[in-house]
Amino acid sequence: MPAYTQINEKLIEVTLNNEEVFAKKGSMIAYQGKVNFARSFLGGGNVQDLAMRTVTNEGNALMVAKGSGKVYYGHNGLFVSIIQVNNEMVYVESETLLAYDARLTVGTMFLGNQGGVQSMVRGAVSGQGLFTTALQGTGEMAILSDGNAIALPVTAEQPVFVDPNAYIGHKGNLTSTIVTDLNWKTFVGQASGESYQVKFMGQGTVYIQASER
Amino acid sequence: MTIYNPSNLPKNDNLNRFAFVVDVADEIFIRKGKMIAFYGQLQFESLGSSLLDILVKESFNSPLYINNFIVAKGRGQLILGDNGNDIACYDLEDANMTIKASHLLGFSKNIICQESTMPGFLTLMGNGKLIASSNGPVHFLDLPCRVDEQAILGWADCPSPSYRYDYAHVTNVLSAVGALTHITLSGEEKQIDFSGQGTVLIQSSEFGLNNSSALAHIMSQLPFLNKSELNSLNGFVAQNLKN
Repeated sequence: MPAYTQINEKLIEVTLNNEEVFAKKGSMIAYQGKVNFARSFLGGGNVQDLAMRTVTNEGNALMVAKGSGKVYYGHNGLFVSIIQVNNEMVYVESETLLAYDARLTVGTMFLGNQGGVQSMVRGAVSGQGLFTTALQGTGEMAILSDGNAIALPVTAEQPVFVDPNAYIGHKGNLTSTIVTDLNWKTFVGQASGESYQVKFMGQGTVYIQASER
Repeated sequence: MTIYNPSNLPKNDNLNRFAFVVDVADEIFIRKGKMIAFYGQLQFESLGSSLLDILVKESFNSPLYINNFIVAKGRGQLILGDNGNDIACYDLEDANMTIKASHLLGFSKNIICQESTMPGFLTLMGNGKLIASSNGPVHFLDLPCRVDEQAILGWADCPSPSYRYDYAHVTNVLSAVGALTHITLSGEEKQIDFSGQGTVLIQSSEFGLNNSSALAHIMSQLPFLNKSELNSLNGFVAQNLKN
């Protein structure tokens, strides 16, 4: 199986042994060994997924690297984090997703399926749209963040509140609701991230970045 | 937060990841605008001025970039910074190193600097120090390897690289459609190929610094073109402006 290694905060190395890895187009920095690159339209999914991604704009151009060797990935000077996925579901924005492999199955998720109307509101508030990319299985994946990605654990007793603009993804069994804090400032146009928050409840991890979109 | 003074500043070493202190004893070439502070008696002179002509003749053999560099002379401690990019210093001992011109921040005067045959790169030879910046820490790769053109910082002790196009993806029908709709060559389709013995330096990102070094190179080649070639270049530029 492809092995992911963190070289520094902006660069990862993926070791392939006659395997393949899917990564954001244009993020390949360098490679050693015998590796071939091709545009990947299915990205490990099926034709229906492709249609779904195209329609929902969650379809980022992907490249598949196939062969044996080492491939280095980085993107636009953004920080890269490797996430371990242990038989669970990870939700990220497609633009945040840097690399994953066939151990994870990828799909496009309608936020309404995952947290009801509240989640749709969250998508609208954060400008991320009503759809998100979901990956399921056991393996590793790499995500991008502006500054270090921060993982906040969520437990049943300890919900987490995040600014929708700083949210980059989450994993585990979580439900989210929008918390609003409307007051006179909202109506005179002084509202900031503090007046809408997303509350995550359940068991899992929320990933945020130290930068607001 | 440490407060620095001339006695506790590092000597020819990094102050932090993003700033570098040079102990200037006589003369050193530095890139224009990268000085952020200095202690001591330093003067900065442009390379065109007559006093420095001998120095330029001997070590700065690159008229294309003459406007990008100045000479710092005197005695003092000079702090260099480059837009929050990581900075590293490399010691050359009877070696040669080629580095992206826009990332070269400075080099000592006994190094000989010449233009590389790769557009936008400078080759440095001899004994001394050179200082370069990169987006993210520099990573060293052994040969053979292939690198995204935009992520490359430089290479040392190896033959000049060549381009390699990966056309395998075009044989895939779906990919061909994709290539037609997104007419861009990303790192996956066009790479720089290194072979032989040596080391390749890569940045952690394909994010390039804004620079005019590629433009300077193109401009320098214009006198060699004839009228019809200039016309077709004109058309090509117009087409690229539309995209």
